[in-house]
Amino acid sequence: MLVIGENINASNKSVGQAISSKDREFLENLAKAQSAAGADYIDVNAGVGHGSWEHAEATMQWLVEVVQAVTDKPLAIDSDVPSVVEAALRIYRGNSLMINSVSAEPEKLESIGRLAAERQAMLIALAMGTGGIPNNVEDRLAACELIMNHLIPLNIKEEQMFFDPLVLPIAVDTTQALVTLKTIQQIKLRYPSAKTVMGLSNISYGLPQRAMVNRAFLLMAAYAGLDAVILNPLDAKMMSFVKIADMLTGKDPSCRGYIRAHRKGILVD
Amino acid sequence: MVEDILGLIKQNVIQGRANREDEGLEEGMEGQPGVTELTEEAIAQGISAEDIINKGLTAGMVIVGEKFEAKEYYIPDMLASAEGVGAAMAILEPHLNKSGIKPKGKIIMATVRGDLHDIGKNIVSILLRGAGYTVNDLGNDLDTQTIVNAVREERPQFLGLSALLTSTMRHMGDVIDALKESGLRDSVKVIIGGAPVSQEFAMSIGADGYGSDGFDAVRVVESLTSPDNKQE
Repeated sequence: MLVIGENINASNKSVGQAISSKDREFLENLAKAQSAAGADYIDVNAGVGHGSWEHAEATMQWLVEVVQAVTDKPLAIDSDVPSVVEAALRIYRGNSLMINSVSAEPEKLESIGRLAAERQAMLIALAMGTGGIPNNVEDRLAACELIMNHLIPLNIKEEQMFFDPLVLPIAVDTTQALVTLKTIQQIKLRYPSAKTVMGLSNISYGLPQRAMVNRAFLLMAAYAGLDAVILNPLDAKMMSFVKIADMLTGKDPSCRGYIRAHRKGILVD
Repeated sequence: MVEDILGLIKQNVIQGRANREDEGLEEGMEGQPGVTELTEEAIAQGISAEDIINKGLTAGMVIVGEKFEAKEYYIPDMLASAEGVGAAMAILEPHLNKSGIKPKGKIIMATVRGDLHDIGKNIVSILLRGAGYTVNDLGNDLDTQTIVNAVREERPQFLGLSALLTSTMRHMGDVIDALKESGLRDSVKVIIGGAPVSQEFAMSIGADGYGSDGFDAVRVVESLTSPDNKQE
């Protein structure tokens, strides 16, 4: 399971403040800590809040530069604004790269798709169109199809794609965990070379003891075929479950990853 | 007897039991009448729709709101209660029209342009309906002009705007500006909400109010409802 560290996101209040006050050290530490905790990609979201909106491109460039100065981990450029993604790519110096994200919205799909094609970047695509998150599997798959139909002519390969099946809170609609899991299964069937990715925490919105629900959902999603997960890598319990998920789905030969984590003392029950 | 059935309605709202089949928050209540059955019975007994709403449904929702604020209730608990109230309101509607009681007011709800999040807005809509308001939920990702046109055509007392993204919250300000340009700003109170929104932000864009959650939104709307529309 590929881990994308979610912590450097401007919608997180302390991070948003650090970005607007250019608190380099705070952000460097967050990047280093995630990298040390085993994140495979570091997500960077510079936000586009009012006030900093005029400078969204410059803010993103600054943030990419700060994070790249302290880690060799590839970044996931987190923005759906084409000019912001483009600005980030201009100064990005890693080999591997992820763009987070597009949806079945033709205009952005076109411009961000071109950027991804040029840079051979991995591309996260949300299984939704312009009408919001569909509450059923069929409409989410239709969005994936629309996305692929747009991207293939741009010379994007299925291998570059990370489809996000999307997660709606189980507290609001108790069918939604299964809708997400079935969407993952169907995406894997239809696009066997593509990967799937998602954030877990939305599932438990509005419930008590959310972390426990998120961990259980990770295991179910791993069984359904989830390839990558966007999470807080500083959550040692969750990272332990990532190891367990890999082991239980046959992705950890001789259980070495799990046992190695145990020997390092990083498994937390 | 009258007090009994209204008290039962209130208790069943608190238990989140819309109907007989529901086990209820505290379990084991299947088979006993729920909010909808009790509301029908109360009507049959000749109790006024006004009393059913105020002493039964609203009284129950007030307690649910308190329990939710105290973190004793969670979103599914609150939604179950609100759905029961919504179902009862549908039963009461023809009786309200008959008795000539004015609805408390009309509210248009919308998530602004570029923003596809609607869970929060939907919850607020359910709670406002439960509080006796007429709600027209326009949906999400709505152009500023679409929202302004709806205000012009429907003349609601309130406009509720929602945004969940830092990149879209500024469109709430655009809507307020467009209302001013269209000469409609004084005809409607604008209430805003959403995760990145604050009281401070609400003031900065010239909104009339800010709701930090669904129940807070109801409180703010109640406090801004003009007295001639208020039910006794």
